[in-house]
Amino acid sequence: MNQHNLQIEAQFRPEVLERVLRMTRHRGFRVDDMEMSTSADCQNLNIRVTVSSERPIQLLSNQLAKLMNVTRVEAHIMEQPLKKSA
Amino acid sequence: MNGAQYIVQTLKQQGVTQIFGYPGGAIMPLYDALYDGGVDHLLCRHEQAAALGAVGYARASGQVGVCMATSGPGATNLITGLADAMLDSIPVVAITGQVPMAAIGTDAFQEVDVLGMSLSCTKHSYLVENVEDLGDIIAEAFEVARSGRPGPVLIDVPKNIQVAPVEPRATVPCTTAPNTLDEAALAEAKALLAAARQPVLYVGGGVGMANAEAELRAFAEQSGIPAVTTLKGIGTLNPDHELFLGMLGMHGTKAANLAVQQSDLLMVVGARFDDRVTGKLDAFAVNARVIHLDKDAAEFGKVRHAHVGIDAELTEVLPRLTGERLAIDPWREQCRALKDEHQWRYDHPGEGIFAPLMLKQLSEALDDTAMVSCDVGQHQMWVAQHMRFTSPRNHLSSAGLGTMGFGLPAAIGAKLARPEHESVLVSGDGSFMMNVQELGTLKRAQLPVKMVLLDNQRLGMVRQWQELFFDGRFSETILTDNPDFVAMAAAFGIPGETITRKEQVQPAIARMLQSDTAYLLHVRISEEENVWPLVPPGVANDQMMESKA
Repeated sequence: MNQHNLQIEAQFRPEVLERVLRMTRHRGFRVDDMEMSTSADCQNLNIRVTVSSERPIQLLSNQLAKLMNVTRVEAHIMEQPLKKSA
Repeated sequence: MNGAQYIVQTLKQQGVTQIFGYPGGAIMPLYDALYDGGVDHLLCRHEQAAALGAVGYARASGQVGVCMATSGPGATNLITGLADAMLDSIPVVAITGQVPMAAIGTDAFQEVDVLGMSLSCTKHSYLVENVEDLGDIIAEAFEVARSGRPGPVLIDVPKNIQVAPVEPRATVPCTTAPNTLDEAALAEAKALLAAARQPVLYVGGGVGMANAEAELRAFAEQSGIPAVTTLKGIGTLNPDHELFLGMLGMHGTKAANLAVQQSDLLMVVGARFDDRVTGKLDAFAVNARVIHLDKDAAEFGKVRHAHVGIDAELTEVLPRLTGERLAIDPWREQCRALKDEHQWRYDHPGEGIFAPLMLKQLSEALDDTAMVSCDVGQHQMWVAQHMRFTSPRNHLSSAGLGTMGFGLPAAIGAKLARPEHESVLVSGDGSFMMNVQELGTLKRAQLPVKMVLLDNQRLGMVRQWQELFFDGRFSETILTDNPDFVAMAAAFGIPGETITRKEQVQPAIARMLQSDTAYLLHVRISEEENVWPLVPPGVANDQMMESKA
């Protein structure tokens, strides 16, 4: 199981987070960790999500990049897998 | 002007002349605006049929199809049609009424989170929260629906937005920036083509969606590469060309599947390696390198590794690859021999009607402009195998989603899109009953759609699989209690007849086509007839099962 970090920038829309998470689940990735913040002017979202899957990360990042309100997607392999909490 | 009137005005600015829909409480202001708004509306008898009618309209015309429905159950009934459009990349804009903003989230009457429901089956979706945004949202929705890889877009409009006053203003033009062609990838593709000894051109529905048939045919002709199509690619290539091998995949021709399996290069154009095409993926064209041309770069490597992927308008990239006839004469001869060896056979014994032969005869009775819609099942595969299409806009088949009930609404949509051309439905008894209420729509609109109903009193394709792979345990696929279809059509004011013997076929087809109204030709066929060849689940495409007869 490979673990990847995705940095996602998106225009703020109430449903953007839902779109991103739906896509992540549907394309076969598990969300292990995530953070989200809005820009100071509330126009943009920054989402960092750590996902794991047997599938290549491009299968997800390419699909996320197609979403209308998503402006940038960067994927990085995690060098050290996240510690599991008890 | 209120929001609803503004919607109608903006739709007209987008060139919309035909809408498919069904009214209800939360969309009444929009229906009021349509009353004298100058856009034709076809009242369907189910919202699913409204969405599928819009799909048929879009597929036959190349324009954006538009449908509308009320909130709650109206909107949920649209969902299947939107999913169909999503899987087949069809440009559709759906407008749904929603409960007023203040009532959203209160479980109000006929409230459902249609934006949330639509996320998985639309290219994009909007909830309009401000009447001032309506014009820009509609303009953007049309651009999203038709640009890049086309698809369905939903706009959910709360009732208070529909009645709110608004000042019309120019919408912000919405355009998508064209990609620049990747010259290095182009050079690599040319090198792979030049080095190939057994290449195959694998053509999908994306070519027709991109209006790139002329460029593709020029490439195929110039290069002389043997070619196959997917179900949705049917009609894209010249069906009479000696190097056209037919459809590949589960019910493809033996020549197409054998050629693909033996190929050393697949040039995939506007296709996506659907599992019905590849069969067992690990065993699909194992020696072939892949050049993949598509408007959707996310398709590259999704299922099958692409040695070269080019994300570009097909009308631009295909001419750049056109130029040299490839030095592959032995391979061409081999493919011609495959085609000769594996011709369809129509010498069926007995007095009964052999559906493949009947569809071939129907095809011969139609001219090249006729549009044929089908439903889903055995008849759908027989249409793909035995009817002849010269344009992908003439073959309307629910390929990706496999939507039973698709055919009749699609045929209605197609006839409205191209009233000067014949619109023919080929259906099965299972599928026909899925949207049979649209006979009322057909009669209401006085559309002369010709319907051929192949009735084996079974859910034929499922029955076939039960026979072959489930030990003949025919669980819930026997439909001997079907209604009298001709009497049912007559109840809707539509004439028809039933035929049972092969010598009745051609006169009945002639009577149907001579009719100036809608017409139902009910054709009784054997329940035991199967679709051949068949690639069974879990095996390679060159291990096709064939009829024992």
